Amino acid sequence: MGCSSSLPDRTSRQLPGINSENAGATDSKNLKVKLVLLGDSGVGKSCIVLRFVRGQFDPTSKVTVGASFLSQTIALQDSTTVKFEIWDTAGQERYAALAPLYYRGAAVAVVVYDITSPESFNKAQYWVKELQKHGSPDIVMALVGNKADLQENRQVPVQDAIEYAEKNGMFFIETSAKTADNINQLFEEIAKRLPREPTS
Amino acid sequence: MASDSNSSPSITDCTDQNPNPNEVTDHLTTLAITESENAIVDEVDSNQEDSVDIANGSLDVNYDQNDDTQVEEELPTGSVLVSAEVEVVEDVRERNSSGGVDNGIDNSEHEIDVRLSPSSSGYAGERGTSSATSNSGIEEVEEDGNVITLQDSSIDAVADSASWVPGKRHVDEDDASVSWRKRKKHFFVLSHSGKPIYSRYGDEHKLAGFSATLQAIISFVENGGDNVKFVRAGKHQVVFLVKGPIYLVCISCTEEPQEALKAQLELIYGQMLLILTKSVNRCFEKNPKFDMTPLLGGTDSVFSSLIHAFSWNPATFLHAYTCLPLAYPTRQAAGAVLQDVAESGVLFAILMCKHKVISLVGAQKASLHPDDMLLLANFVLSSESFRTSESFSPICLPRYNPMAFLYSYVHYLDVDTYLMLLTTSSDAFYHLKDCRIRIETVLVKSNVLSEVQRSMLDGGLHVEDLPIDPSLRSLSLSPHLGQERLTTDSLERFIEVDHGIGGPAGLWHFIYRSIYLDQYVSSEFSSPINSSRQQKRLYRAYQKVYASMHDGGTGPHKTQFRRDENYVILCWITQDFELYAAFDPLADKALAIKTCNRVCQWVRDLENEIFLLGSSPFSW
Repeated sequence: MGCSSSLPDRTSRQLPGINSENAGATDSKNLKVKLVLLGDSGVGKSCIVLRFVRGQFDPTSKVTVGASFLSQTIALQDSTTVKFEIWDTAGQERYAALAPLYYRGAAVAVVVYDITSPESFNKAQYWVKELQKHGSPDIVMALVGNKADLQENRQVPVQDAIEYAEKNGMFFIETSAKTADNINQLFEEIAKRLPREPTS
Repeated sequence: MASDSNSSPSITDCTDQNPNPNEVTDHLTTLAITESENAIVDEVDSNQEDSVDIANGSLDVNYDQNDDTQVEEELPTGSVLVSAEVEVVEDVRERNSSGGVDNGIDNSEHEIDVRLSPSSSGYAGERGTSSATSNSGIEEVEEDGNVITLQDSSIDAVADSASWVPGKRHVDEDDASVSWRKRKKHFFVLSHSGKPIYSRYGDEHKLAGFSATLQAIISFVENGGDNVKFVRAGKHQVVFLVKGPIYLVCISCTEEPQEALKAQLELIYGQMLLILTKSVNRCFEKNPKFDMTPLLGGTDSVFSSLIHAFSWNPATFLHAYTCLPLAYPTRQAAGAVLQDVAESGVLFAILMCKHKVISLVGAQKASLHPDDMLLLANFVLSSESFRTSESFSPICLPRYNPMAFLYSYVHYLDVDTYLMLLTTSSDAFYHLKDCRIRIETVLVKSNVLSEVQRSMLDGGLHVEDLPIDPSLRSLSLSPHLGQERLTTDSLERFIEVDHGIGGPAGLWHFIYRSIYLDQYVSSEFSSPINSSRQQKRLYRAYQKVYASMHDGGTGPHKTQFRRDENYVILCWITQDFELYAAFDPLADKALAIKTCNRVCQWVRDLENEIFLLGSSPFSW
């Protein structure tokens, strides 16, 4: 979003159009971004979203079908707001081929794994590669180790994840949707990293 | 759609006109041919669809033509149902010819298997089951997972459909488990190389040996240039369905008709296509040993809920859908706004409440098959995630196009009411979301949603409300339809035979299927069909009679009157409709026939409220 129009157009873009699929700023103070969650099935993608959007946690696992769409707006300290339009995708193998449908045009990708499952960490790396190949070039990527409350069952060392995230220019955090630990921090941190139009 | 309302035939009550009663009995014999030698029959894959039940030497059909049992009426024309002297009992008793033990209808619901030492393939040891009939104290494992002792046969209502929770049961079991082998109805899906794909009970991966056995049976027969369709082994029926590289098998001792079980396998296959499309076959072309289970990950609840529907949802055998009763203007209002969005590039717009349709609209020339609707509704209702937020997912409608995905936008408008918008375009989400907002606004403004909730509370047709005097019928609409309800005293009740329960003339329940509309309406269950167990039994009785009415070998029949110790069941098929009615077993035949005429008249009088009329996407 380097060189945008010289005159900040604040009034005419209040209402998103029908095909407002692409993420973008509604104006310089109020961002609207498309965010996609990817990761193996059962790592807790939906739980993270529901914790963030509704403050709820439901321990009964509900398998996501296709992708669910939710949105949530957060206010930052610099009095700007960011509206996340979240695509919570299904982790099942049969939907892998359809993932581009959901990550196409996304400004943010949150790749989630389960700290108790090395396979899910492998799967996360698969998604990172996939996004590097086919995602938007300026996509903001976050690597999230969920189920941090299950510390005693940890199988993926924090250090491995940090190293992997650094190598791939990602932001890394461990969360627990169950205890709400780091959930808001995750989204706030993403919001801070979003590219912004220069404010006048 | 006036197809049902004019010049429909009526049943008249008169004496026996059956031209040839002997022919009738002959015809009955063909219904239940038994032979005494083979244990397995391979049916030639041709047009010959007749069931040839072969029991392994222990069963003998014993029926008497002398007393008032075992005669099925077939009448020359469909327009007149005759009250004949002969009465029919559906219950062809199976007698154990060696021991003379009567395995009558009471036992047919129960599977008893005392063999405690399982053999390698679970059903190998089944032949000895009849030896256990005296052991009535043994525990029976119910399909819904509850354990009931046979001694306490009065236990009712194990789990009704409202409290039933979808999901796989008994994952810990495999074919070596006694409990697994006692389950009354198994469904298996496997690949042509014998790899398990789905099993109703137990962990698929542990059932590799069992799947291989099934595959071996199928391919053994195929190698002989033939196809195995059906095997009877003692009390068990084994039904096979081959769909390219995918094999489906049902093993059941529920005494459901073979055709019904086959239709259930077809629906399971359809459900699989809805999730994956037929292009999954390509995976098998590339690699015959392809393991399909990961592709179906997380769908256990979809299949378990479909299988559960096989014991309560008449749509699974009627191939028709049912509507939520609503005042005509209310349904029109819903239809109008759906029509609006259908013109903006939506292929199908469907508004449903649980399993009942409120309204649906298809784009020009697009037609939706009732089976697709059943499978789609089942998929949405059994996948909890649809309730949490709006979603956009690929689905395939197997009858519409088994090869391609459509994209479905699903959103719950309230706890039970949900909107499905289907499109061919994968990037239409935001458009569909806008459509939904528009639809929701209109539905709220025009009170459609509150009417829907009211209708849910009031329920559908109640047999007790069946009007008796034709002159009053136009006034006696159901209360929730916004019409004035008559007081009970002014509505003279039909009391010629009054058992104090159910409707007039001992009418307990009915299902009316409109052939042109592909829709059915069934009355609410009321006393004495209260418990889910009784409802399931009635459902099975309907299913059985449906199969015999539609049996290609001996039918199709026009009318049938069956009496057994549980019910009188009366069926009547014309070119416009099919009626299935259950009465008290002591109901008077002439009155029952009269009552059926009234039911048909009643349904026609209410068709504006109970059916979705006009602008139907069901084209021919």
